[in-house]
Amino acid sequence: MSVAGTARYEMKVALAAAGIIALTFGVVAQPSAQTRPEALQGVQRLEGDWVRVDPNGSGDFGGLTSKFTPASLTSEATAAVEAMRRAQNAPRGPAYTDEKPHDTGQPYIVVAKPCAAGPFGGGALGINPDSGAIHFVISKDEVILAPERGGIRHIYMDGRKHPDVSRWTPTGSGHSIGHIENGELVVDTMGIAPGPVTAGGWRTPETHLIEHFVVSADGQHLVINYRWEDPKIYQKPHEYHYELDRLPSGSYAFEEWCDASDPLEQQSIVPPPQQ
Amino acid sequence: MKRITCGALAAIASLALIGVAADAQGQGPARAAARSFDAHDISGFWALSFDSRKVPSAKLLPRVTRAMIDLHARRDVHAMRWCNLLGTPFAMDSGSPIDIRQGPTTIIIAPENNPAPRYLYLGRKHVSPDIYDNTTNGDSIANWEADTLVVDTVGFHPTRGITSIPGGGFKTDKSHLVERYRLLENGDVLSVTFTWTDPNVFAAPHTYEFRYYRLPSTYEPVSTWPCDPYNETRAKFIGDPAPLTASAK
Repeated sequence: MSVAGTARYEMKVALAAAGIIALTFGVVAQPSAQTRPEALQGVQRLEGDWVRVDPNGSGDFGGLTSKFTPASLTSEATAAVEAMRRAQNAPRGPAYTDEKPHDTGQPYIVVAKPCAAGPFGGGALGINPDSGAIHFVISKDEVILAPERGGIRHIYMDGRKHPDVSRWTPTGSGHSIGHIENGELVVDTMGIAPGPVTAGGWRTPETHLIEHFVVSADGQHLVINYRWEDPKIYQKPHEYHYELDRLPSGSYAFEEWCDASDPLEQQSIVPPPQQ
Repeated sequence: MKRITCGALAAIASLALIGVAADAQGQGPARAAARSFDAHDISGFWALSFDSRKVPSAKLLPRVTRAMIDLHARRDVHAMRWCNLLGTPFAMDSGSPIDIRQGPTTIIIAPENNPAPRYLYLGRKHVSPDIYDNTTNGDSIANWEADTLVVDTVGFHPTRGITSIPGGGFKTDKSHLVERYRLLENGDVLSVTFTWTDPNVFAAPHTYEFRYYRLPSTYEPVSTWPCDPYNETRAKFIGDPAPLTASAK
């Protein structure tokens, strides 16, 4: 998301907070108790809206992951990660090499191609959510995990197997099959496009990710335990977890709007209206 | 998907896609002869075919001019060219199958080639317009009336995404859509009637019907539909007749 988009997103969050307050005081009708996901049984308690939290007060995403045990990579994977970092640090055009000083409040181009991945690409946020909410819909044969900032993750629950990786086009969220263990959703995913993994990991389409989605007894908290397995990449399985809170009753999915044709999407700040 | 510029082309693309999927899996649209179905669960993969649309011409108010309709049509192309979110009603006929999943509190409609699904919230009231930012899909609430799922949507954004409505007219922030979903033919067909009202656009409620065919339960959506707004070849093909600054009407 561009900086301008971030500002808009923060504004939406503020509006949502106002909505939550309104809900708290009964301005908007509450749904009936039977529609509250936390009152449901088993895996259905996953249904609804969740947002990642910072349980240790880390303050930023780097801090959030700093306490994770770093991935223990094979030499082959270490080389791949180094190549990725070199590519990330390479100049990306004028917007990234502009070293002119800028006055306070002066907007300038920081993103040469806003929305460049397009909302139609990606899908990785369905695996490792960022600050955007994620939404679960639990049906009999399929669980849908929808990150608010784009993409849909289909988790097949009907007993099907993974496709042969040689016939699968890798995607941001891969191919996921799930089952229920002790009332919890367990998901196995493969076929993810090559790329970095949280806490120094790496992945290829052959890499398997096993996730356990654990909802707290009161239905208000969710822990996603991640376990990446690939003997070509990891000396031992790479594990970490994310923590999320359920959004208040009456919450709804935002729409992440990013218009690549809007010049403001390129800028560091959105200039205030001129008098 | 963005290259699709008219309903006919969408139908062709849809059929082609279904054909590919059917070939790959050795299955065509599902047949439920020996299968029981729950009339209150519309979950499944659904696709439109060439005989799926019954769309009469909308009765528009005299104030709706040809120029206004043309402006919306140009904006629609602009939205496709820049890979914007396209919204409802386009999501219901985007040239690719839709995945509908019904949970205990929410029904999600996920078009295969669109990253912004529709959320139909069961048993709720609309979000207060005081806090709701209008969106391309709007705010949808749903309730079962006998064997019909009635979905009520308001809060459409007047300029974002594809705003044209099948049969004529366009969305505004005053538009109100009521959809009625009902399973037919032992659950193999999903009928959806769409009724649009808008005091600024329609002289009478505008109703049309789509009938979706159920795809095999083993169907898997293609999740790599490309859309690159910086692809010049694609941009030249689509064209962009509507500048960003075109004012809303």
